[in-house]
Amino acid sequence: MNREAFLARVREAATSGLRYRVHADPTVTRAMGYSTIEEDLVARFTAEVAKVGGRPVVVPSMEAARREAAQIFRIYEPRSALCWRHPVLDRFGLTDWLRTERVTQIDSALLAPQARAEQRRDMLAADIGITSCTFALAETGSLVMAHEFGNERVASLVPPVYLAIVSREQILADLFDAFDRLGERLAKRDWPSNVTLITGPSKTGDIESKLVVGVHGPGKWHVLVVDETAGEKPAPA
Amino acid sequence: MSTTDFTRQTHHEFLTASSQALVDANLQLSLANVGDTLAKRNREAWETFPQSAPLRELARQIKDATLADLAGHLETLEASVRERGGEVHYAGDGDDACRIVTDILRSRGAKRVVKSKSMTTEEIHLNDALEAAGIEPIETDLGEYIVQLSKQRPSHLVAPALHLRMPEIHQLLSTDAGETLPNTPEDLCAYARTRLRDAFATADAGITGANFAVAETGTIVLISNEGNARLTVTMPKLHIAILGIEKVIPKLADLPIFLKVLARAATGQKLSIYTTLANGPRKPDELEGPDEFHVVLLDNGRTRILEGPLRESLFCIRCGACLNVCPIYRNIGGHAYGGTYSGPIGAVLTPLYDGLTNNRHLPHASSLCGACQAACPVKIAIPEMLIQLRDQLHKEPGEMHWAEAQAYGLWARSMRSPRLYRFLTWLATRTVGRVLPSGWLKKLPGPLHGWTKNRDFPAPARERFRDWWSREGME
Ligand code: SF4
Repeated sequence: MNREAFLARVREAATSGLRYRVHADPTVTRAMGYSTIEEDLVARFTAEVAKVGGRPVVVPSMEAARREAAQIFRIYEPRSALCWRHPVLDRFGLTDWLRTERVTQIDSALLAPQARAEQRRDMLAADIGITSCTFALAETGSLVMAHEFGNERVASLVPPVYLAIVSREQILADLFDAFDRLGERLAKRDWPSNVTLITGPSKTGDIESKLVVGVHGPGKWHVLVVDETAGEKPAPA
Repeated sequence: MSTTDFTRQTHHEFLTASSQALVDANLQLSLANVGDTLAKRNREAWETFPQSAPLRELARQIKDATLADLAGHLETLEASVRERGGEVHYAGDGDDACRIVTDILRSRGAKRVVKSKSMTTEEIHLNDALEAAGIEPIETDLGEYIVQLSKQRPSHLVAPALHLRMPEIHQLLSTDAGETLPNTPEDLCAYARTRLRDAFATADAGITGANFAVAETGTIVLISNEGNARLTVTMPKLHIAILGIEKVIPKLADLPIFLKVLARAATGQKLSIYTTLANGPRKPDELEGPDEFHVVLLDNGRTRILEGPLRESLFCIRCGACLNVCPIYRNIGGHAYGGTYSGPIGAVLTPLYDGLTNNRHLPHASSLCGACQAACPVKIAIPEMLIQLRDQLHKEPGEMHWAEAQAYGLWARSMRSPRLYRFLTWLATRTVGRVLPSGWLKKLPGPLHGWTKNRDFPAPARERFRDWWSREGME
């Protein structure tokens, strides 16, 4: 059907339909939909990550983060890691650390010069994915990922194990806050081709409603939260 | 296979199908779960998240306001998609949409496509059209994949294989694998993961529906728990999204309002595992994502609904909550409804899309208990709409037996005339009320017997309430 005829039909129907608009309650506002978060954002974020089946650990420094990451590597013994390039990962010292772990780092720097078939082969073969995030969300235990060159989608999607390294200041309180921040990027015309919110390891309940993890995406999701203010405060009970 | 035949019918005989469903032991086992899991989680989500009340109202208002200027929002969506290098196509009906999709695929020499769960493509029978064009469609949502292997239709909006039990699923996947697979859900998922990874890696295109489309940004929003929707829009060179025109929302800032209620309604999750905003083709420097991005906007009867009294049904965000709480759905499952959409909202949508007289049973497939409206994230007045459809149906010539029509006429008149009402109730207590001591009418005479075929009808009391009240109740 041609565009003009299609839109004319919609326009006409929408106008006739005005008679059937529903009653609206003018007292409700968007602000009423904010979640109330009383505890510390790190505590709430990690609690939510655990609730959806992730494994969160809070560490007080990048050095402690490397020790934790080494523990995680002892479990899975990965040979190659599909990684983001990100300031938080630079602070972690990812490249050097992977070298000492003798794990091949696959990232945009390695992939960019390759032909597509090669890129795909390397991405699909990775044993673990390592990313930071654009923001993290305390309300839901989510990672908000603005995907672009250097911050590839496949890292959090294709390998069976996925490790995210999050720094305290990346954590926002509410889903609305995340969309406000994304809106700022949109206003600056810095809008990525793909944004994904991740809230758990890949799951399905399609076989007799029984929960199985890792059906298409990673079945294991580890989250290291680096809270460099943590040393200054008493540990949460 | 023990699944009864009605699951393969395209046009239904609702009464036969539901009677069969009631004695299908496997189906009943599958349905028994729904109340304790999905329905319970929905209820808890509304109770434990007080913010959901204003959010549901807001979501409803946004839908209502968007429909008021739907053409304007579609134009904005088109402009945004174009600006980001995508293309928009307009499909008046399902055949149109299928032709648009197969034309795009054919001209690129596509042989195989991966699909992520989409009820809209079910609605237009896209898979049949693709196969007829020599293109192999592969469903990648695990439930959809199983349903595709079984050559059935999905029986639930968010849990398509809900009607199947483990032995059947095991057999289907083993046949697909060409060997007997180990018999645990984990092993079957592992097989599907490997099998479908191969499909993702070799597919020429990815086809999706859309949970929402954001006009301001030209975004197709896809929600899944498995991750297949992400792979579908990341691996193949071409992404085609097919969506009903009612899926558009105006602003990026509107989206979190819907996200906050959708997963809570569907599964009790705060958010589904993956919420993907597909914003167009890959940028020149990017290593992944499609080179081409097409959006197909589908009318297929939606404008007919938009102009009429049941316009509110277009608010539906396909969460499935109304199915999970419905006493009818929970007894007969999704297939007996006969259409693409089942449960309470299906009982409204199928007659609207496919004609009321073709689907005369559906408006009656409800106890009007109101559980659907209470569960619905956008508070759609489903019971009222069903009543309206019943009313419309009864006005169709030849729909009602003359005796039933007479009885309804008398009922309506007596409701408007206190004198007639008093006389008729007096008459009823003096006659039927005196001769029927059991208090139940087991069989009404002649054409009225349909009322009592599957239920007993309470007989009039021996004395009218008003007589009792004037004698004793006043004290
Ligand atoms: S009518 Fe409401 S409850 Fe039912 S599927 Fe649609 S949005 Fe969900």
